[in-house]
Amino acid sequence: MVAHVEDTRAAASKLTARRLLNSSLFYLTVAVVSLIIVFPVYWMMISTFQPSKYILHFPPPLLPQELYFDQFGELFSEHPIAKWLRNSFLIAVMTMLLCMALSVLGAFALSNLRWPGRNLFGLFLLVTQMLPEVLILIPLYILYRRLNILNSIPSLALIDAAFILPICIWILKGVFDNVPPEVLDASVVDGCTELGALWRIVLPLSAPGLAAVAVVAFFFAWNEYLYAGIMLSSGDFMPASVGLSTLKAIAQTPVEQYMAAGLVFSVLPVVFYLAMQRYIVSGLTAGAVKG
Amino acid sequence: MNERVDADALAGRSGGRKSPPRLFRRRYLLPFALVLPIVLYEGLLIVYPIVQGIYGSFTRIELASSAATIWVGWDNYERMFSDPAFWKVIRVTLLFTSLVIVVALTVGLLTALLFNRPFRFRPVARGMLMMPWAIPEVPVVMIFIWILSPQFGVVNILARMLPGVTQNPQWLQVPELAMAWMVLISSWKAFPFYSLVILAALQAIPQELYEAARVDGGNRLQLFWHVTIPGIGSTLELLVVLAAIFSFKQFTIIFLMTGGGPSGTTETIVIRIFNTAFRFYDYSYATALGVAGFVVSLVVALVFILMQVRRTQETA
Repeated sequence: MVAHVEDTRAAASKLTARRLLNSSLFYLTVAVVSLIIVFPVYWMMISTFQPSKYILHFPPPLLPQELYFDQFGELFSEHPIAKWLRNSFLIAVMTMLLCMALSVLGAFALSNLRWPGRNLFGLFLLVTQMLPEVLILIPLYILYRRLNILNSIPSLALIDAAFILPICIWILKGVFDNVPPEVLDASVVDGCTELGALWRIVLPLSAPGLAAVAVVAFFFAWNEYLYAGIMLSSGDFMPASVGLSTLKAIAQTPVEQYMAAGLVFSVLPVVFYLAMQRYIVSGLTAGAVKG
Repeated sequence: MNERVDADALAGRSGGRKSPPRLFRRRYLLPFALVLPIVLYEGLLIVYPIVQGIYGSFTRIELASSAATIWVGWDNYERMFSDPAFWKVIRVTLLFTSLVIVVALTVGLLTALLFNRPFRFRPVARGMLMMPWAIPEVPVVMIFIWILSPQFGVVNILARMLPGVTQNPQWLQVPELAMAWMVLISSWKAFPFYSLVILAALQAIPQELYEAARVDGGNRLQLFWHVTIPGIGSTLELLVVLAAIFSFKQFTIIFLMTGGGPSGTTETIVIRIFNTAFRFYDYSYATALGVAGFVVSLVVALVFILMQVRRTQETA
């Protein structure tokens, strides 16, 4: 009897030992993988927050030697980065407003209404979102040149919105799909028009989806580089994505300023993208053609 | 609850939405009125330029003069198909695209499997995992320009550990290394997205399937092979196509880091189109290249759509 108890106890402790080994191996793998993935981001931080005299050594120290915060002030006084950010902000806000207005209409038609041509419309959106932007750069550039609307912030926002609108509509359609049809039926029975139902019922129920659309549209324009570089060649309208790409590390711009610039530009998109990732991912993938 | 919705949306079955409200089913003009501004807008800024581009590829485009356009027929295409540089661009594009698909999806799958198991700090770890995806491309380029700096770049520490490496390599000047870095950086930026999608698919696999397989005596590898892989198979297929589309579109990272160099070894078709138009000012030839790229991406997009249709029919 006693021996039996001893046996099971030994077996149990063997099992916990194995479990412990297993889970510590698992944690180790998770740690190593996470470290490799995050290292470039870590390196940006390290290079931002210490004076570059430490890091301009080979091999550079892997841990920060001294905290330093003057680089932000120097960055803003030595480069027109405030102006770049302001331009980016203006382009992004215009793109966002345009996309929000149009995607509400498109998503409502795609999700809550039935009409012939609905599938075709969805297909049309799906294809436009999949084409490489550079393919229509040249015709658009020629068009803009002929119309003489190059170097204008609103005309760039017009292009950015055209590129991101299909994804915004798909995101919002996914959200509108979750509004129970019974609620809409009831509202129509109560004498509400379809647009009234959209305004009073669908939209209030879809606030997070609208926020996601706002985030996606805003930061698409904020991050966009290709069109911004071609369409806004004049320095006055240069947005931050293009401005930052003109900075030359070490040679012209001290490393801590260079990396600080990247950091300043990334903070907002990172925060908002991470908050909205679920919606963004569904918009990019679930653009399924449905009957 | 969140993950439920997520998985549903991604698995292509958007829940219990069977039919729209009865009263919304009448035929009327409202949907067309709603959609018209969008169609006009996308038509003007996307479709019209495509048509214009196709037309332009058959003409000689002179931006400076206002002379009438000159019809040149198939000249640009004849030039393209007989141009060895064009075929090199195609090879580079294929190589880059397929390598990014393989690397980004493999890393995405492995991290998804790793993070599928609940553990302490998982939310934190997942947030960190999504970082590369959330950082805009231009700062990504800045980070890697600095990391790969031949003088002070931190990656040289690793390189120096290899036997025989006594000098910091010129990372972006050696063709093979430049291509490898373009693939790695693009994959680093892209994989969190695939990881998230695969994770949602993994979590949608019913636990009963695993239990049943375990009762039948399946070991871990068999569980993976006979339950996990079939469970996420269609999602993986879809992601291959999506990854093809995304990596085919990749412009900013390559353009800002190598510009297509050294000597064209990282020049994918999108970079080539840009360089032809805005470095050599050869607009008509660039438009012809653009049409070629358009045909390729249209084919891939159609494959994606067909797969989506199949999936929705299967799950419906």
